[in-house]
Amino acid sequence: MEEPTVRGTVTPLSSMFPVEDAQRAAKRVEDALSEKQQELNQVKEFIADNTNLINLVQKLPEELHHDIMVPFGKAAFFPGRLIHTNEFLVLLGEGYYADRTSKQTVEILNRRGKALESQVNSIKAMMQDFRAEASFFDATANEAAEGLVEIREEYVEENSSERVSDSGSIKQRSSSFSEADNTNVEDEEYARMMSRLDELEQEELAAEIDNEVDEDNQNQGNTAKNDKESDEDEVYARMMSRLDEFEQEELAAEMHNEVDEDNQGNTAKNEKDSDEDERAVTDFDQFSDQIARDHNFRHSEELRLSKPPQQTKDKKTSEDLSNNYRHQQDFSDQSCTDLTVQAVTRDIVKSSNAEKASMLPEVKENVGAVPSSKNESSKPGIDNSKVSAQISKPGFDIQKAFTGSVVEHSPKIQTSTQEQTETSSKASKPVSRFKMQRR
Amino acid sequence: MDNYRQAKVQKFEEFVDRRLKPDLVSAIAERDKVFEQQKIFSDLRRNIENLEKNSVTSLRTMVNLGSEVYMQADVPDTRRIFVDIGLGFHVEFTWSEALNFISQREERLAGQIEEYTRLIASIKAQIKLVYEGIRELLQLPAERSVQEPIF
Repeated sequence: MEEPTVRGTVTPLSSMFPVEDAQRAAKRVEDALSEKQQELNQVKEFIADNTNLINLVQKLPEELHHDIMVPFGKAAFFPGRLIHTNEFLVLLGEGYYADRTSKQTVEILNRRGKALESQVNSIKAMMQDFRAEASFFDATANEAAEGLVEIREEYVEENSSERVSDSGSIKQRSSSFSEADNTNVEDEEYARMMSRLDELEQEELAAEIDNEVDEDNQNQGNTAKNDKESDEDEVYARMMSRLDEFEQEELAAEMHNEVDEDNQGNTAKNEKDSDEDERAVTDFDQFSDQIARDHNFRHSEELRLSKPPQQTKDKKTSEDLSNNYRHQQDFSDQSCTDLTVQAVTRDIVKSSNAEKASMLPEVKENVGAVPSSKNESSKPGIDNSKVSAQISKPGFDIQKAFTGSVVEHSPKIQTSTQEQTETSSKASKPVSRFKMQRR
Repeated sequence: MDNYRQAKVQKFEEFVDRRLKPDLVSAIAERDKVFEQQKIFSDLRRNIENLEKNSVTSLRTMVNLGSEVYMQADVPDTRRIFVDIGLGFHVEFTWSEALNFISQREERLAGQIEEYTRLIASIKAQIKLVYEGIRELLQLPAERSVQEPIF
């Protein structure tokens, strides 16, 4: 799985975003900002005028007439007086005027005031956007000037691709940092990410299956959940196609890595296949000896399992996908609590969690086969034997978890998970600046 | 030598962009203001002539209170009119006095407009001259040709 080659690139930030360009962009945004500020001032002036006029209109009818100078053109006026002080002629727009009393006029003016207020709000929102943009450009300009580099590593596998820009110490290195130094680190990381991706995929599949099983067992006749289930199947299919696309893109982009990827992809596939076979067998074995405890264990696990996919994949897959994950998660949460309330004591759940911490990799492997069979139930082209086994049995996964094979790369997984979540999860941390630029 | 020429060309262009063009813009703005004044006074003259012709001594009109809200106003005696003579001063005129003042004022405004027009023309001529100079500077010794701006 690990073959040392040069992967990824080190790009000085200043080569992508020249300092002058960034500064120019920042300046342009500043200009737009000041323009908006002027607009805002103007609108505020209008508002002040409007309130003055409201006061005037309210005051005028208090007297029968007011002595004023009546303007006659712009350069001349006559001495005269206002008469009919409770009759106003108000412009409604498009050259239409209406005769209004003082009170009605005030109402109209108040409505105009409200429109102006909303205008102020929208301008302020726009200014806020501009400010954020300006600070972003400034930051980029500064960083480019400081010689910050971006390290990007393309990641290709048959199921997914992940772009990791290690936001930590590596990025901070100066542009003189050579690619050769990088190689070993990246290889290790690459291998870790590969294994991690395998597992994540399997976890997702497991989570889906778990949901299905839960529904069968606990919520029979709950159609809403069944609907969700089929949704998930669709989602899974879509996700897979998306992943394929990504893979192809990356393959095209990463010509020099082609050989490595092929090798690794194959091995990954083989592993998974054998896992699936194993799984099918064990499923049948355990068909008969279901235990209530298994359910609980599985559900508690499922809670944990369903989380990672969200973090790592949401970047790559479309939004609706991640939404669906959230659904899944909610659902599993629900079912878990249900279970604890129903039959199981807290202790069991806890202990199973503890167990799970150590067993996690194996469990995932086991679960891995389930999703494909589950897809079959709604979609053509999958092993029938597996399907029947799984559908009828909720507990098998867990059993296998205890007896299953140990995955080689499990120790590395934890670290890679953390890294990935750090760099790529939107929720836990602000998005990498480089990604933001690209989107 | 080439550097010198380059610097010279740049100086000329800066002169056009930083000096002449802003001058031109401000001169045009000034002239527009005078045009506006002229229009105001010609309107006033026409209005007063109308009053005279119809011998209107009292007037009812609508006063704009702001934001297009109008109220009726009554002018009991129109024979006395206050006219803006500039710098914030207003003088009470009779109709004939006002017309007399307005015609003098219009004459003055026309003179100002003439002045500004001449100024604008000269600025435009200077711009053209400088561009011509730049073109010569570049064209005669070197083969490069510069597209001169068209005004």
